[in-house]
Amino acid sequence: MKNVTNKQAVPLQKFVATKSRLPKDSSSGLIAYVRQKFFNNLFNSVLSLAVFYLLYILISGALNWAVFDAVWNAANRRECQTLSPNGACWAGVISWFNNLMYGRYESALQWRVNLGAVFGLLWLIPLALNKTPYKTWVFISAILLYPFLAAYLFLGGEIGSEISLFHAFVSAFALAYLLLLYINLGLAYSRLGTLHRPLIGLCQKITRTKAKPLSFTLVWCFLALIIWMVFASYTLSYVPIDRWGGLFLTFIIAGFAITMAIPLGVILALGRRSKLPVIYWLSLLCIELVRSVPLITVLFMSVTLLPLFLPADIEFNKLSQVLVAVCIFAGAYMAENIRGGLQAIPEGQYEAAKTLGLGYWHSMVLIILPQALRMMIPNIMTSFISLLKDTTLVSIIGLFDIMLMARNIANDKAWLGLHTEPLVLISILFFVLCFGMSQYSLNLEKRLKVGH
Amino acid sequence: MLQRTHNISPSDMPAIQIEGLNKWYGDHHVLKDVSLSINKGEIMVVCGPSGSGKSTLIRCLNQLEAYQEGRVSLFGQALSSDTASTQHINQNIGMVFQNFNLFPHLTVLENCTLGLTWIHKVPEDDAIKEAMVLLDRVGIAHLADRYPGQISGGQQQRVAISRSLAMKPNILLFDEPTSALDPEMVKEVLDVMINLASTGMTMVCVTHEMQFARQVADRVVFMADGEIVEMGPPEQVLMTPKWDRTKEFLEHVL
Repeated sequence: MKNVTNKQAVPLQKFVATKSRLPKDSSSGLIAYVRQKFFNNLFNSVLSLAVFYLLYILISGALNWAVFDAVWNAANRRECQTLSPNGACWAGVISWFNNLMYGRYESALQWRVNLGAVFGLLWLIPLALNKTPYKTWVFISAILLYPFLAAYLFLGGEIGSEISLFHAFVSAFALAYLLLLYINLGLAYSRLGTLHRPLIGLCQKITRTKAKPLSFTLVWCFLALIIWMVFASYTLSYVPIDRWGGLFLTFIIAGFAITMAIPLGVILALGRRSKLPVIYWLSLLCIELVRSVPLITVLFMSVTLLPLFLPADIEFNKLSQVLVAVCIFAGAYMAENIRGGLQAIPEGQYEAAKTLGLGYWHSMVLIILPQALRMMIPNIMTSFISLLKDTTLVSIIGLFDIMLMARNIANDKAWLGLHTEPLVLISILFFVLCFGMSQYSLNLEKRLKVGH
Repeated sequence: MLQRTHNISPSDMPAIQIEGLNKWYGDHHVLKDVSLSINKGEIMVVCGPSGSGKSTLIRCLNQLEAYQEGRVSLFGQALSSDTASTQHINQNIGMVFQNFNLFPHLTVLENCTLGLTWIHKVPEDDAIKEAMVLLDRVGIAHLADRYPGQISGGQQQRVAISRSLAMKPNILLFDEPTSALDPEMVKEVLDVMINLASTGMTMVCVTHEMQFARQVADRVVFMADGEIVEMGPPEQVLMTPKWDRTKEFLEHVL
């Protein structure tokens, strides 16, 4: 800008940056590391030795009980105790393992639960992949379509009965969607040609229509119809909800609560920041009321009090009451997490969105929420983890989740008093699940972090 | 280069007309009876000491700030906070901020195509093409796939300008566009603005870059303590100011 015209008498020297060099290598061998960290002076050496000794006692004791002295094969607890009085009696847990997983679901029909779980995983995998096209729609479909597919598989029932007919109908669409999703995914990864959206192009060709959403819908409906016809010729026998249980039920409750918590939390959080007084006060009331009451109370209320308020002919099963209660509970906590994220977004982002002409919903969905949710991943995941663990509370109101099944082992005549081993197994199971979730959240944070 | 798609009123009508604008923050009177009219195609530079209300003034033009008294009209239509008025503003006015305010979770390209695809409903491929043309014009087409956090301040501000231009506004507001930049990056942003000025865009710039004002401004407005002290062609205001306050300020920035 400034046209400075200083006449230089001496010609300028040319500046060349000094070549960079690497820092000195400070890493040394393992022995040096151990000596420096654990035995750098007398006091620390004594302390280290004491701690090592304690660890040895603890770990060897635990290993002896759980592995070396354990009984894996026995007919009942008495036999366990005669074989090895000081070891764990895993035989009892093993013989009850199936019940711990599926509750009292008939073993001949358990493939349906497994299949449902596989479909659930199939739905989630594309969400974790980077190249998945239309990821938002995959997410929405997972929330809106998958539950019906799962319900159809888990519940079954005559195709003629109303509820099952509806489930089967939506399931046909769900399966058709899943099929198209994977075709699309395959195309995206194989990079057929340079087509931007290969599947939509294909749909347009098949149906000879120009409108993209319409062509997709036509293909989708056609596939759904074929699947529907397959469904109609088979009948899945009915399994009542009170036979569901074990880890299967825990997953249903936790999965439902986790997926519903985000949308519910977003709505409540936005409501609490709303300038409209009615919406603001309703959201505030909802969040504060639910947050100030223990989950057990909410569960009890939903099972015992709710039916009193509803007309006598409306009868909910216990599971759906519990699902509603857990969802509201999770939503209220999530709302506060998300509100924290919303508050952390600088005012400039709102202003920039506004000056671009984005309205309230556009700027929320496209600009503010993606950033707020991203920022809150650690908190959200913490909520999810505690939610997963909290679902074990439903055993108190008599749902046969994994916790209640585990306690039932101790009441079994053959395994009378076998308390510790099932609880240890559950601890390990929950640790694996929760640790997996926290690792996934770390991975998610890393992937979503974009240069700051 | 710049396509004017919106049919606007006859050219003799001012683009923006401000009449008797008054604004208070609590008891603090930040804008005192400001009246000003900005013509179509005019490049106006607003300068003044900090706290003089110049940023507040241009933020009132697109209703980012509410004001208590007075009237702002855009191409003859008085502005309010209702939907029709908001739409009228969004169709005509773009804004470039001091802190760029790019969307950090979107790439440079996505920042520019967002408005096109969601507001103007342009098909994605066309939006990308349009955005690339704009990015090319400000010389950062090669950074289209980067995220805002990965590029320099000067580059970010150029993206912000492209993002505003993508919406094809008739008027661009600049709120101290170079104040947050390192000295070496100021020039690249000013060059883009000078280039833009030559396309006939109506521009209102709050800036301390007096060289820029001298080079491209049609009129310079000097504000102090919430009012317009003097206004006129740059040579007049910057070289031969009539008021002592203006002279004092200019001695500090020039």
